[in-house]
Amino acid sequence: MADQVLNVENLSIDIPLSGDILHAVDGISISVNKGETLCIVGESGCGKSLTSLAIMDLLPQKAVRTVDKLELNGSSILNYSDRQMSDVRGSKIGMIFQEPMTSLNPSFTVENQMVETLARHRNIRGKEAKKLAVQMLEKVGITPAKQRLKQYPHQLSGGLRQRVMIAMTLLCEPELIIADEPTTALDVTIQAQILELLTRLQADFNTGLILITHDLGVVAKSADRVAVMYAGQIVEEGSVYEIFDNPSHPYTRGLLSCIPVPGKIKRGEHLGSIPGMVPSLIGEFTECRFAGRWGDTLGKEEENIAHLVPIEGVDYAFLVHGTTDHVVRFCCNSCLKKSKSKISKGVN
Amino acid sequence: MAEVMIDAKNIVKDFKISKGLFRGKETLRAVDGVSLQVLRGEILAIVGESGCGKTTLAKILLGLLQQDSGTVELCGSKIEQIPRLELAKMVQPIFQDPYSSLNPRKSIGSIITLPMRVQGEKNSDVWMKKALQTMDLVGLPARMFDQYPNQLSGGQRQRVAIARALINSPKIVICDEPTSALDVSVQSQILNLLNDLREELNLTYVIISHNLAVVEHMATQVAVMYFGEKVEEAETDQLFSNPQHSYTKTLLNSILSPDPRQRNKKN
Repeated sequence: MADQVLNVENLSIDIPLSGDILHAVDGISISVNKGETLCIVGESGCGKSLTSLAIMDLLPQKAVRTVDKLELNGSSILNYSDRQMSDVRGSKIGMIFQEPMTSLNPSFTVENQMVETLARHRNIRGKEAKKLAVQMLEKVGITPAKQRLKQYPHQLSGGLRQRVMIAMTLLCEPELIIADEPTTALDVTIQAQILELLTRLQADFNTGLILITHDLGVVAKSADRVAVMYAGQIVEEGSVYEIFDNPSHPYTRGLLSCIPVPGKIKRGEHLGSIPGMVPSLIGEFTECRFAGRWGDTLGKEEENIAHLVPIEGVDYAFLVHGTTDHVVRFCCNSCLKKSKSKISKGVN
Repeated sequence: MAEVMIDAKNIVKDFKISKGLFRGKETLRAVDGVSLQVLRGEILAIVGESGCGKTTLAKILLGLLQQDSGTVELCGSKIEQIPRLELAKMVQPIFQDPYSSLNPRKSIGSIITLPMRVQGEKNSDVWMKKALQTMDLVGLPARMFDQYPNQLSGGQRQRVAIARALINSPKIVICDEPTSALDVSVQSQILNLLNDLREELNLTYVIISHNLAVVEHMATQVAVMYFGEKVEEAETDQLFSNPQHSYTKTLLNSILSPDPRQRNKKN
């Protein structure tokens, strides 16, 4: 496709431990188009951040990356040298991290850092660089931009720092921005502002955006497409409406039932939960990663539904016939068998 | 009329901040004339942005900080006049980060029983039995008694912190961001647990949180703090349906609803 910015196929990350291997990411494929926001959502330890680092080739040295295809704008960047990759980072792919205080250099002013970025990636120096920096700060809503340029990161609030980070990322007009939990460290009021800013700028510049988050509220607000990660794999992917209206994987359903929604669940009433724990990713899997965690993810109405109709070509996915028409997916045969006993009249 | 568990009037707390070498000190008013009243069995939530004095207020209610002026009464007696050990029996904290609030060198059993030993209970059979009871109450398997914090997941650690807070049957529990370090699936488990325990043990909670969805789900009463002052206090439903103060309105507008169809409504 012409407007595909990033295409990753079959990415795995293994981290060798003493005597064993931790399969942090296990064969995931993602793609992002121009002007599109892909949200990767999942719990801590499911491999979200490693995925983004792997795209940038910034993984810790110990980690082993294997990937079939890694394409930026249709051309492979898989065999790029370190030198070539550092040209890609910043200018083609921008990255915004969670904690703006640690990603800005505390001993240089905002101006220093912004001008340096321009000099390194776009070969713009002097007055022109400064002018661009001021313009960009104004674009991300920092006023008075000229005075802010002279300040050091510690003189800025968390929200302002994150805005500076976004401005720096945009200076090189990257084709893809990867934002790793960009609002987690911020207050709720600031979070809403930063998300709005990101979405607006993304539309202005027509960049692809990968937003990594664990907050389903953030996903609902900004995503076009959603990839749900669980234990190193993408268990479900779809448009934001598909995922929220009709989640098919039990993990997605569990996640959605966990969050308190004002007005939906009565005070003091039990929230849904996913029983058990995320399995250890060390060693090979012998059984399903979601085994034993089904809990109440099968809705009440589905338990009473007469027929689940198998969908051709998709493993363990069924169309529910009856009161509603939607897809239920079982992750594996053993989970399917366990749930069969719950569905009163059985699967045909 | 239910019993008043916490009665705080006009609490003020200043911190002296050095402006630099030889440049004297500046006063920062962290809490500015806050009054609160919490009845038995209620859940009061304190919300506000970071740095607005929520945690300072919690520390004052726990007796860990001395207020500069104003009075705090717990269960009808002044907090300064309650002996340290009595106070610890009455009110207990649960902190935000279960990774730093548990001593990594102590076993789970020893962490949970410490409050009993501090209270002078010498008989090891008694505290052993009580610890296992409490662990059962918060949903920790008994085999974890001899394990160490690093062997536990975040949710389990927070359960240990809850067990430690509850072992001496306190009347008031102050939860400072009890779930913000946890994943959503674990958060829901902990919130369910806190709700169950409140009914079972007739506890009174003060919950500090910046997650308004959690507040809406848990609290009966909400106090909004802004720059050290309490700008609004109301029953939860009333506050969420009819906010008065402009800051409260901003806060409510910034809730991210987990419904993609509502994303454009507010802007």
